[in-house]
This record gives sequence, structure tokens and C-alpha cells, in this order.
Amino acid sequence: MNIYLRLVYRNLRANLDRASLFFELIFPLFFIFVQGFGLNGIVPPFDIGNGKFVSYSLFLAAGAVTLTVINGGTNAGTQLWFDRKNGMFEQILMGPFTRAQYILSIIFATLIIGVAGSLLVFVFAFPVVGASFAFSLEGALLIAAALFFGTVFFGAFAITLSVALKSSETFQVVSTFAFFIFLFTSSVFFPASSAPSAIQAASLANPLTYTTDIFRAGLFSAATSTTSLELGVLAVEAAVMFVIAVLAFRRIRV
Amino acid sequence: MRGQDPVIRVQELSKRFGDKVAVDRVAFDIDRSEVFGFLGPNGAGKTTTIKMLTTLLQPTSGRATILGHDLRTEGRKIRERIGVVQQQDSFDQGLNVETSLDIYGLIWDVPRPERKRRIGELIERLGMEEFRRKPTIDLSSGQRRRLQVAREFIHDMDLLFLDEPTVGLDPIVRRTLLDFFKERVRDGLTIFFTTHILEEAEYLCDRIAVINEGRIIDVDTPENLKRRFGSAKAVEFKLLQGSSAELAALLSSSEGVTRLVQEPSTGTYRVTTARPESVIPEIYRHAERLGVTVSSIYISETTLEDAFINLVTENHGAGVVSGGRAA
Repeated sequence: MNIYLRLVYRNLRANLDRASLFFELIFPLFFIFVQGFGLNGIVPPFDIGNGKFVSYSLFLAAGAVTLTVINGGTNAGTQLWFDRKNGMFEQILMGPFTRAQYILSIIFATLIIGVAGSLLVFVFAFPVVGASFAFSLEGALLIAAALFFGTVFFGAFAITLSVALKSSETFQVVSTFAFFIFLFTSSVFFPASSAPSAIQAASLANPLTYTTDIFRAGLFSAATSTTSLELGVLAVEAAVMFVIAVLAFRRIRV
Repeated sequence: MRGQDPVIRVQELSKRFGDKVAVDRVAFDIDRSEVFGFLGPNGAGKTTTIKMLTTLLQPTSGRATILGHDLRTEGRKIRERIGVVQQQDSFDQGLNVETSLDIYGLIWDVPRPERKRRIGELIERLGMEEFRRKPTIDLSSGQRRRLQVAREFIHDMDLLFLDEPTVGLDPIVRRTLLDFFKERVRDGLTIFFTTHILEEAEYLCDRIAVINEGRIIDVDTPENLKRRFGSAKAVEFKLLQGSSAELAALLSSSEGVTRLVQEPSTGTYRVTTARPESVIPEIYRHAERLGVTVSSIYISETTLEDAFINLVTENHGAGVVSGGRAA
């Protein structure tokens, strides 16, 4: 079996907490089925681009699916954290593996969790979003690209945090706080264009904004002339974050 | 295979952390099927040496070849043929013992039927039956240590690094592990073994390097070390009154006394000294002055521990003593 497959399988089996995964799925579904329907009656449908109008529950459902990307990303940091805490980081590096193979295996495992989690949430949310979903190759590619780059960014971000922070408690607190900032300065809950200018400015740097916008564009066939630019920005941010994570990872002292 | 290229050849290997020299120009050879002990007090440089030899740390200077591969340029090839039991715990927290062994075998690419066979054999041999389905997070430190050892024998290797592998084990399990290592050595395995438990080193090792403050003080067989550096004798005595802190304090500061310890279970004092003929009258003189009675006294056999203490004490901050077969 390929070395990456072996390491990824090990990461998925050894470092993932089933209870945490369950709640990572429940969390977005709560937004879709409680908050979305709750606010649907007071928020009128609005244009998400390309002349496409959607209800708030649809808008939020698509955003909530991309929330799973963040949760999947957090798992990357947790995997590395557990391995360091439990001595498996050094143990694996004393085996026939390189540091690059190890860190890539964490990223691959994170991608599986992020993408599979998002698709699972999408399946659960299908009664809400299904009616507006029209499959097209372009849409599917946009969805895949959004989930891929989003997971890479947040996985790399969580890895960087777990390397930089000295205790698991601090890691949990800081990552939760950081992800709240990403969440509330993005377009998950509301269109960034209608937010106050400070939040708009923050949303322009926020990869979750692009992840969500591209995902929605793919889902609702609402791609505009700016979608490819957004995809480019997200890809660059993911690449930069990945490089930062690799540099941080290389600095781990054994 | 003795007489062929050594399994480990280390030449002037050093490691610095900033200004601190953790390992200072160590040199030795290890043959196939040899158990080589690395003996030293805490902080002597044992673990740093292992980390360098297992390619986890880059040496600051010096050279080494492991199984014929260069330490600096062929790390991957080396790691494919070694096993390491770390001093610290290492376990996959989301798995039980059996699954943990299986997944470790999987990442080493051991075929499934072979993994299954080895897991069964190791669980039985190392007495892990009662906790084979227990989550690793719930294991005691001794059980975890057994898991760590078992895990390394899931995959094939030519050289095993054991960094204080018996810490936290009861005497019976400890002996089981040491005997298991001996069996595997008879099958051709080479072992690099660090410990500060001298009885273990004496029981298991063919040769011992004594390291202190990053430098190898001596390399020799346990018997030769005892003979050459065990000139210090141990005077053992008991007091009718059990113990006397004043007497212990006076003796500790007496000239010629290298070390004084009291065995907690028996109350026996053990004085390590090169001059028992002057220490024994000193014991009686202090006892009389303090009003305590010596109920028994005798000069005991030299142990490896005596030799070790003598070596480390004599060479504290001094140069390397020649002897043995350091490369």
C-alpha cells in the first residue's frame, strides 16, 4: 500500500474523536434547520449574483455546509497536537517516513474529513437546498475547488496554531476564537457586501468568504465575472498558509 | 558476523544546543548481535545520542554510519531497518492495544496475515493478554511500556534502540522483557540500550559505554569495568537503633567516602569507598560519640554500580579515560 495511504489511514483511525466528529456535523445542521428557518420569515430573498435570488434559509444552508471546512481544518491541528502530546510524532519520524510525508498525510486526512463532512452535511441539508440545486460540471468543479482550497487553508492554519501554542487548552481556546472571527467576518451568515465597511474590509481578506461565495456560486449556478478572481485569491491564500504551516512544522524541535 | 563491518560506527560525534555541549565527540563501534549499553546519570547525553543515531537530530559535528549507511545523507535507509523504543510514552490515543499494534504494523507495510501472527505471538510472549482490548489511553505506564516494546517487534529490523525501556515496570515484567531481548539478540538483532539501572546493564549488555556530561568515560565489558574500576569497596552496616541522620551526615563528609545510601527496606547503610580500612574505624568512632550501636558490619562485593560511581565521580569534568574498545 502507498506510504501516504498508510499514514492517512492511521491518522483517521488514531487521532479522530468520533464524538467530536459527530458534533462537527450537528453544528452546521443546527444553523440550517433552526437558524435558517427561524429567520426565513423576516429576511426577504436577495440577489446572490448573476441575478439569482435565494431565500435566507437557502443562503444560510450553503454557508453552513462550508462551516464543515473549518471544522475539518481544526482536526489537522488536533491530529498534530495529539501526536506530539502522545509521543507518536517522534515515533513516526524515527520510522521510514519523512517529515514531508507526515505533514502531507495530515493534510490529506484533513481534506478527507473536510470534504466528506461537507458532502455529508450537504446530503442532510438536501431537503432545504436540493430544490435549487441544478447539477452542472462548472458548478461541481467550483464546489470541489472551494472545499479543497478552504480545507487546505484551515488545515494549514490549525497546524500552524498547534505548532505555535504550548498547551492543548490554549490551542483549543485560540483556535475557537480565531474561527469565530473567520466565521463572523465572512459571508456564511450574511452577504459581506451588505455589512458595515469594517466587516466588508475584513471579509475581503477572509478565505472563508471566498470558500462560501464560490461554493454558493457552484451550488446555485450563480457564478459571476468575479468568481474566478475569488477562486484565484482563495488558491493563493491556501498556498501561502500551506507554506507557513510547513515552515512552522519544520521548526518543531524533537 | 563479527569481524564484518560494524552495525554502528560512530566517530567524534557531537551535538550542541547553543552554548551547551550535550554530546561531546563520542566514538564507538557496535557489532552485529551485540547488546551495547549506554550507561550514565540523568542528563549525561544518552537520549541525545539516540536521537542523533536514529536521525531525529542532526549532529553538530562528527560522522556515523548505521548498518552501512551514512547518518547525514541516508536517514531514510537507516530508519527502514531500525526500531526505537523511546524513553517517553508513545501511543495512539484513539485505539486499543491490539488495533494500535495492527496499525503500527500497517504503516510499516507489514502484510496483514503476518501482522496478525506477530500480534498474537507478542501479546502472549509479553503477557499482554489481559489488556489487549483496552484503550491505550487507559493503560498504566507499565502496560504502555510493554505496548511500546511489542510495537517495535511488529516490523522487521536489524537494530533496536532502547531508551530506558524498563522504566515503570515491576521486576517480573522487567525480567520478561530483558529475556525477550536476549532471545532476539540470539536471532541476530543488535541492541543499543540506554539505562541508568546498573543491574539491567550487567544482565543484558555485552559491552558498556559509561557516559557523563556528554563524554564517554570508558567502554568495556561489565566484568572488566567492575574489575578495573570497582576498586572502591562497599562497606555495609546496620545500627541497632535503625538509623541515625547525624551519623549519616558525619560519614558523608568523611574523607574517602564516595557515597552513602541507606537501603529503605532493610535499613542497611552502604558506604562506597576506596579505603574501607580507614572508614570502618571511622564508623565505630562516630557511632560511639553519638551513642548508637553498630549491630553488623562487613565489606561487600564490588558491583557494577560501585564501578560506575567510581568512574563518574573520578572523571567528573575530567578527560576521557582510555580502556575498552572505543573506536
